[in-house]
Amino acid sequence: MFCEKAIELIRELHRMSDGQLPAFNEDGLRQVLQEMEALYEQNQSDVNEAKSEGRAKLIPSIKLRHCCLLRNQRCVTAYLYDRLLRIRALRWEYGSVLPANVRFHMCAEELQWFSQYKKSLASFMRSLGGNEGLDITQDMKPPKSLYIEVRCLKDHGEFEIDDGTVILLKKNSQHFLPRWKCEQLIRQGVLEHVVS
Amino acid sequence: MFIADIRKDFYEVVANQRVVLLVAPDIDALCACKILQALFHCDQIQYTLVPVTGWQDLGTAFLEHKEQFRYFVLINCGANVDLLEMLQPDDDSIFFICDTHRPVDVVNVYNDTQIKLLIKQDDDLSVPSYDDIFRDEDEEGEDSGNESDEGSEPSGKRRRFDEGAVERRIERQRAKREWEARRREILFDYEQYEYHGTSAAMMFFELAWVLTKDTKDMLWWAIIGLTDQWVHDKITNMKYVTDIATMQRHVSRHNHRNEDEENSLSIDCMRISFEYDLRLTLYQHWSLYESIYNSCYTSCSFKLWTLNGQKKLQEFLADMGLPLKQVRQKFNSMDMSIKENLRDVIEESSNKYGMKDIRIQTFGVHFGFKNRFLASDMVHATAALLESAEKDDSETDNFIKALDALSRSNIDRLHSGIALAKKKLIAIQQTVASCICTNLILSQGPFLYCYLMEGTPDVKLFSKPMALTLLCKYLLKAFVHSTRNKRCKLLPLVMAAPKDVEKGTVIVVGIPPESETSDKKNFFGRAFEKAAESTSSRTLHDHFDTSIIELKTEDRSKFLDALITLLS
Repeated sequence: MFCEKAIELIRELHRMSDGQLPAFNEDGLRQVLQEMEALYEQNQSDVNEAKSEGRAKLIPSIKLRHCCLLRNQRCVTAYLYDRLLRIRALRWEYGSVLPANVRFHMCAEELQWFSQYKKSLASFMRSLGGNEGLDITQDMKPPKSLYIEVRCLKDHGEFEIDDGTVILLKKNSQHFLPRWKCEQLIRQGVLEHVVS
Repeated sequence: MFIADIRKDFYEVVANQRVVLLVAPDIDALCACKILQALFHCDQIQYTLVPVTGWQDLGTAFLEHKEQFRYFVLINCGANVDLLEMLQPDDDSIFFICDTHRPVDVVNVYNDTQIKLLIKQDDDLSVPSYDDIFRDEDEEGEDSGNESDEGSEPSGKRRRFDEGAVERRIERQRAKREWEARRREILFDYEQYEYHGTSAAMMFFELAWVLTKDTKDMLWWAIIGLTDQWVHDKITNMKYVTDIATMQRHVSRHNHRNEDEENSLSIDCMRISFEYDLRLTLYQHWSLYESIYNSCYTSCSFKLWTLNGQKKLQEFLADMGLPLKQVRQKFNSMDMSIKENLRDVIEESSNKYGMKDIRIQTFGVHFGFKNRFLASDMVHATAALLESAEKDDSETDNFIKALDALSRSNIDRLHSGIALAKKKLIAIQQTVASCICTNLILSQGPFLYCYLMEGTPDVKLFSKPMALTLLCKYLLKAFVHSTRNKRCKLLPLVMAAPKDVEKGTVIVVGIPPESETSDKKNFFGRAFEKAAESTSSRTLHDHFDTSIIELKTEDRSKFLDALITLLS
C-alpha cells in the first residue's frame, strides 16, 4: 500500500512522545523518497499518455498517485520539522554542548542546523541587558532563592565556585551554595537538594 | 575571650564570609546547628556543615578546610581543651566556640585574637584570674644585668654586692616556685570536675531573638536542646527550672501575637504550649502501661524488676480505676473519659506511692490534627536515630538522619525515630532488670562497677556513648533503690561495655553519684587520664566528654586496679 513507509516514520516519532530524539531514520526516509520518485514517474508517463491519446480513464489513477505524493511530502516534512523542534528543545535542556549519544542520533544537516541555532541564540542573548548580555537559558522558572542547601551524597573532591573558593565535597557534608553552580552536580547525582 | 555582644562580635563578623560549622554528635548541638542554619539561610551566609564525632575527626576536618576557610564555628566541642595547641592553626583562622562543656580551658579564655567564646560570662564559670596563672618571664634579665654592671667594682665590694644579688635571686626563685605550686593547685581545682553549662541551642536562639529573626521553629529547637540536657542528666534541676522559665517567656511572647477569637490560626500552624506533664517517656506514642513499665522514674520507684514491684504496679493501676485493657492499648485509642483527667489522677495516686515528682515542667508542640509531640519525645527519637546501630550506616549518615528528623517536613523520620527509641528503652529496662537481679554491680571501694558481657542481648545498642550513659544513670538509680547498703548509695558508677569486637575494645563511662541535689560534676575525666597514664593502658580519649573513653579489653583489669588505687 502506498504511504506506509511515511506513516512508519511518523509512528516512530510518536512512540517517543516525551521529547527524546530517536536515531535519524535515513533508511526509512530514503525508501519514502524512492516511493515518491516511482509514483512521480508513473504519473509522468500516464499524464503524457493521457494528453497524447486523450484517455480520460487514466485520470483517477493519476489523481490517486498525486494524492499519495502529497501525503508522503506532508509526512516527511512533518517528520523533519518535529525532529528540529526536539533538537531546539535540547539546547534549552542540556546547554550548548550535547552529550555524545544524542549527537549520534542526529544527521549531518541537523547538526549544522543546531550549531546555527546556537549561534543565533547566543547573539540574541548577548544583545540583551546592556553590554553584558543575559543568559536566559538559566532559571526557566523564577527561583525562590539565590542560594540553596545541598547535601553531598558521595565523595566528589574539590569543587570551585565563582569567586575562586574551593569547597571540599565530602560524603554527608552539607553546604549552602549559589543555585546555579549546584544545578549541574544535582543532575549528576553528586549533590542532593535539601528542603527543610 | 568571651564575646560581649553576640550580634556585633559574631554575626556581623561572619555576615559576608564563608564559614565552616563543626558540629558534635549530640541533640543539643543538632538543635543549635538547625537554628544557626536557619539564620544563615535568612541572610545568605554561605557555609559548609561537617559533623565531627571526636577530637581526631575535628582535627581532620580542620586540616581539610583550613586552606579555604578563615572562620570556624564549633558547636558543643572545643572549649575544654587548648584548641590552638591541638589544631596548630595559622594566625588568621578565627574560631567561634559555643560549647556546653565546662570547665573552659584557660588558654581559650585568655586568648584575645583567635578564640572567641560564645558563652555567657555569668554562667557559673569561676575562671581563675589571669595573674594567678600566667606570668611574664622577664625577671631573669634583671638579675644578670645587675651583675654585669657591678663587675667593674673592686672585689671586696663586689662580693658584698654579689651576696646581695645572690640572696635576691634565691628569694625570687623561691617566690617563683611558690607561685608555680599555687598555680598547679588552682588549675587542678579548676579542671578537676567536668560539668555542663547553658544549652548551645538556647545561646543561638538568643542570637536569633536579638536579631529579631526568631521563629517558632527556632524556639522549638531551643526547647529541644534544653530538654536534651535534662533527659541526659547534664544539668541540675535548678538550672533546668530556671531555663524553662526563660523559654516560657519566649513561648508566651510568640503565642500572644497571633490568636484571638475572630482570627484563629489554622490547625496546621505550629503551636507551642507549656505543659506540666507526666514524666512517662513517650507515653502519648505508646501504651500507658508500657510507658510506665519502661520509664526510669516509675520503674525505679516501683522496683519493677521484682515480682513485688509488678504487683504494686497492678495495684497502682487499680487504684486509679484504669482497666488493664484500656491501659495496654495505644494511648490514642484509649477512652476519652480516661484521657481527660489522666494527669491529675496519676499525680494523686503517685503521691500515695511515694512518687512526688511524677509531673515535670516541659513544652509540647502540635501542628495538624495528628501531630502532637512533647519535647522529651523529640529528644528520645532523635537520640535513637543518632545512635542507631544499623550495620551499613556510618556515623555521619546517622547524623544526617537525625538532623532531618528535627524538621517538621520529615514526620516519617521522626516516627521511625520514636519506634527505635521504644526499642532502646525496652532494651535498657531489661538490661537494668537483669543486672540488678544477677548482682552484676560490684562495689570496688571508691566506686561501683558493672561490666556488660559480650553475649548480653542488645549489647550493640550500648556500644554508643549516649545510650550507654543513659543505661548507666538508670542502673545507678535502680541500684540505689534496691540496695540496703547505705554507703553504696553514695558511690559513683563506672560501666564498661564492648565497643568493637574485632578490634577488641570496650567503651568505659563514669557518672557521678546519684542524689536529689547533685550538682552533676563528674571527676572521672581526669581520673581516667591518670589511670591510663600510670598503667600505660592503650586508651583512646577521643570523645568530647572526657568521662567517656575507649580501652583495649586486655587492659581492662589493670586499668580498673589503677583507678581504684587512685580514688581511694
